[in-house]
Amino acid sequence: MKLIKTFSILSLSILLICNYFLINSFSIKQNKKEIINFRLKNTDGKYISLKDYKEAKGFIIVFTCNHCPFAKLYPQRFNELNTKYEPLGIPLIAISSTDTIMYEEDTFPMMIKKALKEKFNFPYLFDEDQSVAKNFNAQKTPHAFVIWKENEKWIIKYSGAIDDNGAEPKKVKTHFVSNAVEDLLNRREVNESETKSIGCQIYFRK
Amino acid sequence: MKNINLKTLATLISILVLSFAIKAQSYNTLWIPDTLRGTNFNLALKDTFAQIVTTGNQTITGGINGKVWGPTLFFNKGDSVHFNVHNYLNDSTTIHWHGMHLPAVMDGGPHQIIPPGTIWKPYWKVNNNAATYWYHPHLHEMSVEQITKGLGGLIIVRDNIESALALPRKYSVDDIPLIITDRKFTNLNQFSIAPYGDSVLVNATLRAQYNVPAQVVRFRILNAAIERSYNIGFSDNRNFSIITSDGGLLNAPVSVNRYTLHAGERIEILVSFIGQLGQSFDIKAYNTALSNSIAGGETFTTGPFGSFLNHKDFTLLHVNVVAQTTTPILTIPSSLTTNTLLSASIAVITRSLTISDSAGVTTPIILGPNAFVLNHKLFDFNYMNYSVPLNNTEIWQITSSSVFGHPFHIHDVEFNILSVNGVAPTAAQAGWKDVVFVPGKTGPTNSVVKFIAKFDDFADATHPFMFHCHIALHEDEGMMGQFVVTSTNTAIGIIEKNKNEKDFLLYPNPANDKLYVSFIDPTMVAYYIRITNSVGKTIYMLPRPELSNGLDISTLTSGIYFIQLTDEKTKLTTTKKFIKE
Repeated sequence: MKLIKTFSILSLSILLICNYFLINSFSIKQNKKEIINFRLKNTDGKYISLKDYKEAKGFIIVFTCNHCPFAKLYPQRFNELNTKYEPLGIPLIAISSTDTIMYEEDTFPMMIKKALKEKFNFPYLFDEDQSVAKNFNAQKTPHAFVIWKENEKWIIKYSGAIDDNGAEPKKVKTHFVSNAVEDLLNRREVNESETKSIGCQIYFRK
Repeated sequence: MKNINLKTLATLISILVLSFAIKAQSYNTLWIPDTLRGTNFNLALKDTFAQIVTTGNQTITGGINGKVWGPTLFFNKGDSVHFNVHNYLNDSTTIHWHGMHLPAVMDGGPHQIIPPGTIWKPYWKVNNNAATYWYHPHLHEMSVEQITKGLGGLIIVRDNIESALALPRKYSVDDIPLIITDRKFTNLNQFSIAPYGDSVLVNATLRAQYNVPAQVVRFRILNAAIERSYNIGFSDNRNFSIITSDGGLLNAPVSVNRYTLHAGERIEILVSFIGQLGQSFDIKAYNTALSNSIAGGETFTTGPFGSFLNHKDFTLLHVNVVAQTTTPILTIPSSLTTNTLLSASIAVITRSLTISDSAGVTTPIILGPNAFVLNHKLFDFNYMNYSVPLNNTEIWQITSSSVFGHPFHIHDVEFNILSVNGVAPTAAQAGWKDVVFVPGKTGPTNSVVKFIAKFDDFADATHPFMFHCHIALHEDEGMMGQFVVTSTNTAIGIIEKNKNEKDFLLYPNPANDKLYVSFIDPTMVAYYIRITNSVGKTIYMLPRPELSNGLDISTLTSGIYFIQLTDEKTKLTTTKKFIKE
């Protein structure tokens, strides 16, 4: 009898513990979506895939475009982020997913010009069918993501704005992307894992 | 020693507190929109950003030729004005010329959609009296979002009568435009899409102040809020003189110390600052005086209609009186014009409209979608409410069973208010209007507003004019109807569309700079031309294009284009291909 009682208490607590983990893992999954590998054309004509980066611990993926006035404020900061984090195994990749029927300025030939003019030190990929933006659920240009390798999977660890001042880089108080990368490099949970991206809406063709 | 330390600490703390208090009250200089004059106007609508909140991130805005709001357009009555409205936005839009009397196809209502990347070229002869008008997007279900972003601007019409008066008219010096709105900001300094804001913005300036000369000053005030009404007054409770209603001068200045301006309405006021050099005053909204049936009078602080400004008195603009200008206006004229108002006896028809709360709403607190309706029907693009015969003089009688007050706006015409709940309009409203406030019902008694208008000059059986609540949220939710003005009888109800084509020739083809259109049927007139590129993107929208000099295609890049031409009489559309060399 006593055994049964002990057993039932034990099973109940196991159940509770399991439940706790279930709930917890569920909420983690909600926030940290897995990203399917993609392969897109770079402005140098070569195709680039996440798999090409054997040593990468993570990536800074930025959805941006040529035409958006707010996106135009960030190229230098993209270069700086890549200069700093690529040697540490977190390269930056920029992707343009905006509708090129609406914006001639965002077409592939114009992307090539932009990459040369702004001396991009990172790939600038053309997401012609917008599938990658949909996979990430990218909303605005610019919209930054930090993804991290966990059990051979790419998991979104940060989504949102690059920092908190577009026009005046010197007045930036919080560097959301750098902070997320630093947290991950130091094996910490990302403190601020989601902010709202600010800029021009990415409209998805139906 | 200990004592001194404590004292120092206390002083330090008080300095800190004081500096914070000063910082909290610091003013920003009122921004004044640029001006555009002449008869050819180029407006470029774009997604951009502006430093509206003093510190921190910029706010994503919609700008017209600039960062937020558009330039103030100056028209002379009698001039023909031509526009290139270039939509560089991420989204489709329309631009409506609020208060302008013009052909429906130029009106910029929800039917004249300008897709992204397209140039719309409306033109018309300015028929309106001297007053302050405005322009803003009118895309159905998108008005709130696009107006919130700051798309829009003022129109100032001048005419001989107004020009002959000794009135202040030095723009930004003694003639000051005030576009009043309130907005809600997110913690990232971005606009929230909300009916009510917590922050007042005058000309997109937070905590605005402005220097005014010690003389008679004219303020042109537009309520560009999404929903809120402003009960305008001065902090010293002074009187000010209202000189215009929406659509023109009043017969004489009307002296008041309060005036409630509802969404979409404009007034021009004269204020004397003579002998007040060095003093400061506030122009305020005394909204504690508004009942909870008037937008902004509700007491909600939370929820979708919650706002810190609800049922509060708050400052709109801080004014500092500075030295007089060289040729100051020092007196307020005793009379302005002689308006010949329309007499109820000449109306040939009284149309009865209704405003009601949608079914299921039982309590006074109206929340949720589609809460208010006109004529018991939500807006439907394909439903024509009225066909108004050209040159009709009509009384529109609006009976409201809504518990909430609604500023009712009609396109095409300026009207005269006949009565509000049986009472003749106050002197400040006894002129030309395009918005009338329909009060909420009192107890079980419905409100009744009557106005009279003449629907002259522009007949068009295809493109309708709108009538709607100018609370943009209500309009977006479907509190809108439409009418055509016709010279022939047109059926009302469901609109049927023609499917046949009318033929025409294009030459030369391929073309370089000019493309000419020639009609096989000589009675054919171009009602509308749309030019699209090979992937279907609209490049030009040309309502009633002037074809004698050909179409200017010099700015198109080489390639294949399509021209869709709609015939004036039959409204049949024919598509042809041409090549730009």
